[in-house]
Amino acid sequence: MRKTTLFGSQTEIELAIKQRKQKGFVGQVIFIAATILAVLFLMLLLLSVLDSVFGYMVVRNEIEPSKFVPGTNFTQEFSREDLERVAEEHLSSGILRRVIHEKPISDRSDKDLIHIIDQYIIKPKVLRTWGLWDSVTKQEAIEAFVQENEGAQMVFRSWISPSFITSDQSADPLQAGIRTALLGSLWIILITFLVAFPIGVGAAIYLEEYAQDNRLNRILQLNIFNLSAVPSIIYGLLGLAVFVRAMEPITSGSMLLGFSDNTANGRTILSGGLTLALLVLPIIIINTQEALKAIPDSLRMSAFGVGATKWQTIWYHVLPASIDRILTGTILALSRALGETAPLVVIGASTFISVDPTGIFSKFTTLPIQIYQWSARPQGAYRNIAAAAIVSLLILLLVMNSAAIHMRNKITKKKRLL
Amino acid sequence: MAWLKIIHFSFYRNTFLTFYIYRKCKTTSTEESMKKIVVLILTLLVISSLSAGGKQEASVTAANQDEKNLSWMEGPSVHGLPGVNPLKVTGNIITAGSSTVFPLSERMAERFKDEGYGGTITIDSIGSGAGFERFTVAGETDIANASRGIKQSEIEAAHEIGRDPIEFRVGTDALAVTVSKENTFLKNVTLEELAQIFGAAARWSDVNPDWPNQPIQRFIPGTDSGTFDYFAEEVFNKQVEPLLSASNVQLSEDDNILVQGIKGSPYAIGFFGYAYYAENADSLNIVAIEGVEASAENVDNNSYPLARPLYIYSDATILQNKPQVAAFINFYLSYVNEEVVDVGYFPANEEAIERGRAAWLKAMGL
Amino acid sequence: MANIRRKPTITSYVPGTILFLFALISIIITIGIAVILIRESYLFFNDPEVDLWGFLTGKQWQPMINKFGILPLLNATFTTSIIAMMLGIPVGLCVAVYLSEYASDKTRAILKPVLEVLAGIPTIVYGYFALTFMTPMLRGIFGEGVVEIYNTASAGLVIGILVLPMIATMAEDAIGSVPKELRLAAYALGGTKLETTFKVIIPAALSGLSATFLLSLSRAIGETMIVALAAGAGPKLTANPFEAAETITGYIVRISGGDVSYNSVDYNSIFALGLVLFVITFTLNLVSRKISQKFHQEYD
Repeated sequence: MRKTTLFGSQTEIELAIKQRKQKGFVGQVIFIAATILAVLFLMLLLLSVLDSVFGYMVVRNEIEPSKFVPGTNFTQEFSREDLERVAEEHLSSGILRRVIHEKPISDRSDKDLIHIIDQYIIKPKVLRTWGLWDSVTKQEAIEAFVQENEGAQMVFRSWISPSFITSDQSADPLQAGIRTALLGSLWIILITFLVAFPIGVGAAIYLEEYAQDNRLNRILQLNIFNLSAVPSIIYGLLGLAVFVRAMEPITSGSMLLGFSDNTANGRTILSGGLTLALLVLPIIIINTQEALKAIPDSLRMSAFGVGATKWQTIWYHVLPASIDRILTGTILALSRALGETAPLVVIGASTFISVDPTGIFSKFTTLPIQIYQWSARPQGAYRNIAAAAIVSLLILLLVMNSAAIHMRNKITKKKRLL
Repeated sequence: MAWLKIIHFSFYRNTFLTFYIYRKCKTTSTEESMKKIVVLILTLLVISSLSAGGKQEASVTAANQDEKNLSWMEGPSVHGLPGVNPLKVTGNIITAGSSTVFPLSERMAERFKDEGYGGTITIDSIGSGAGFERFTVAGETDIANASRGIKQSEIEAAHEIGRDPIEFRVGTDALAVTVSKENTFLKNVTLEELAQIFGAAARWSDVNPDWPNQPIQRFIPGTDSGTFDYFAEEVFNKQVEPLLSASNVQLSEDDNILVQGIKGSPYAIGFFGYAYYAENADSLNIVAIEGVEASAENVDNNSYPLARPLYIYSDATILQNKPQVAAFINFYLSYVNEEVVDVGYFPANEEAIERGRAAWLKAMGL
Repeated sequence: MANIRRKPTITSYVPGTILFLFALISIIITIGIAVILIRESYLFFNDPEVDLWGFLTGKQWQPMINKFGILPLLNATFTTSIIAMMLGIPVGLCVAVYLSEYASDKTRAILKPVLEVLAGIPTIVYGYFALTFMTPMLRGIFGEGVVEIYNTASAGLVIGILVLPMIATMAEDAIGSVPKELRLAAYALGGTKLETTFKVIIPAALSGLSATFLLSLSRAIGETMIVALAAGAGPKLTANPFEAAETITGYIVRISGGDVSYNSVDYNSIFALGLVLFVITFTLNLVSRKISQKFHQEYD
């Protein structure tokens, strides 16, 4: 072997190779670090949300339970007679009237009476809250705070609970819940699905099966790709101008049902659902196109071979074969719509709405908008319920995505067995 | 939850019908598939109108009853107004307007619901100006919440759509000029200093050389807000230009965003309704105006310069056609003084509320 | 040859036409967007107080006193987007390289779902994260006097985290679509993995990568909720990312949340801003598509 080559002597080459290998190693470390960073961000995000969902809070009762039954610290310690007596004697007349109207006091369960007495007589007020991490590490500081404020108590609370999901909006963070927002979200997603799914799948079938490669169809295809990248707030503006304002008679329901109470206003679930339908339409179209492309041509050809028309092959052969992927993609698109806030804020969701939506012409608020409003409020307790609402939203999305995957697996299995 | 059962049942019935028709037409041809599509669309329309049908029935039955449904008036009379039993009213109440009045209306609405109201109440916090717009121009709301008096132009606009606004005074606000708890130098301002702080001055030291040489960070309500209008009127003599062209200005109709911003720096300052200060008293300091502090007596004897009235507006025809609105306003006027201090505002003086009560009685023809 | 095909009846054209009409709806949407934005912007520019030049170059945005300069809003939008890109592009590219070149199948099977989860989280959650975690962290690092409670830096960083999965997946697709032969040829010549990646693969995938960057930039520009919660509520022309400044999208959301009256100059202004936003993002999308198409042909 020659001692010197074109690239230098043997030792120089070995040195160069070593340097390059070292650089390669450094590069690999950087890449792995970047990946770890990305995973770290995700964990940070989820943990910071979870941190606010559980923790200590310091509350002060407006009236201490010991005033009614000496020696007790919580209403849970009251006896049955005490509960009934306190409820009857100390609830304000208006509230007592309603409570009796719904169910007489003697018929109510202990838990029920405790809840009522806490809510209307004891009236705990949150002084300050701490996240999970702080609750574990800063116990002394919390206890010091309790000492500073007379009459205060330290209570551990999980802000997400079944009552959180079933209560409706309230100004008091202890009583507030997401029921109205959750129902609003679900109603809107229903409308979005009913509108976007047929149109989207239909358009995709056209583009895949019927369209020839002429200029019009290429423009159509390009147009759909562009629409999928438009920021969501533009759809909000479109919805505001078209559905809320221009189509107001239709979307407010006054044309269809002749409302007499003069509350006609285009800011209804129907407008919200239609706007989100426009938003997810391009996604559904693109996804369905991909699903249809995946079906081998031989299926179509064999159907033609036995004399089926084009529509018959599509409806009876191609669609059933691709329906699993189409449905999965649609559900994923809908879960994106579930998390959309900006278009619905532009259309005009309500700030305080006290009763669940009763139909598509109701005013609405949705879960992401509720999170937005609660996040914007500076008092500590609202951070906690915003975090609890976020956890509910994420769970809902998880359920939807799992349902999508489960459904796809089921249908695919069925296909294989055939 | 009866409406849920109705939709459940009819949804299944209609779906069943659709599939039944599908099976019948199994001999495939395009006409059949067209028919199926038409049937599906009709089914969906039927379902949707059924789901809103519940509401329609409610309004139909309301119209069938007497014009003045007064069965909810029972119980002891409060301050001269007939007693209200919220259990006996239903329907919807739509209100919108001032973000200052919002916490008060929200509290009264919650209490109304707690005592048995079964219908819907919607309150939108969009600013007094926008609230009047919805009430007098679009005619969408039943009640307008406002932290300033209604303007003549707004009254005329209301006349054009057949409404005659009735004013009900519900409370008094002491406009709170606030700084963060870390701000140690500002305890008292004069009105002229306020004009400079929120207007032309760029740094604190420009207004008063004793103050720090730091840029002023301003957080003020947005232009749709009655609070904004009021401040411009009192401090800047109705000029909005100096307020808006000041440097470092953050505007928002959402007072919570302002609170958040002021908390963030010792050199921040802002103003909003007293309730938002009261809610955050542990992290904000309120500044005295011309040496006068914002307290109940100073508001009562009119010595606090920035005390302003809080109103709700409605119209006699609405009160008569929608008994739930009449009941709610009655309830509001009867019990507002019990709740107003807890919410963070100050009670209006008795005569002002009395005038509102008299106006209510007159509008109801009692 | 005898024509054994069934004679096409009128009704056989029906499904195709109906579906064509469905597809046309997408064109109607685009036309609708264009018409609405242009019409309301026209009303906006028609207002005697507004002129186009002042709109594009003015330094103050305060419609109530007739100041219609878009520069503060535009500046804030670009500040947040550029900060987002500064975080998202390096990290995203490194993650993509790792996933396509270095990771084993098992690792990839774990990491790709993680990225997809990150991509599926609603933006409002990111907004909450920016306000409750990122801002206090920045204030802790740089001091409370330096970082205001609303600032564009924390919004920008969180937008970067938002687009990170998008950049990673699209870049990984681009890198993965480079033909294997190129890679093998480089190895055969004695290149290390790092050298191959940076000197051969990335230039080869440049079209896909530039498309990725442009698309993610357009996504960052159009992002609304994160800036609405964390960036600020007042237009301010500043180069300091630690100060509060409102972006175009933040302004639109704030004004429509406060209920605009139709036909006021406020109402029309949000459409004019929407038009600017649409033009910017549309151009970016179009350019990115053109680039990816043009360079793609070279390797077919």
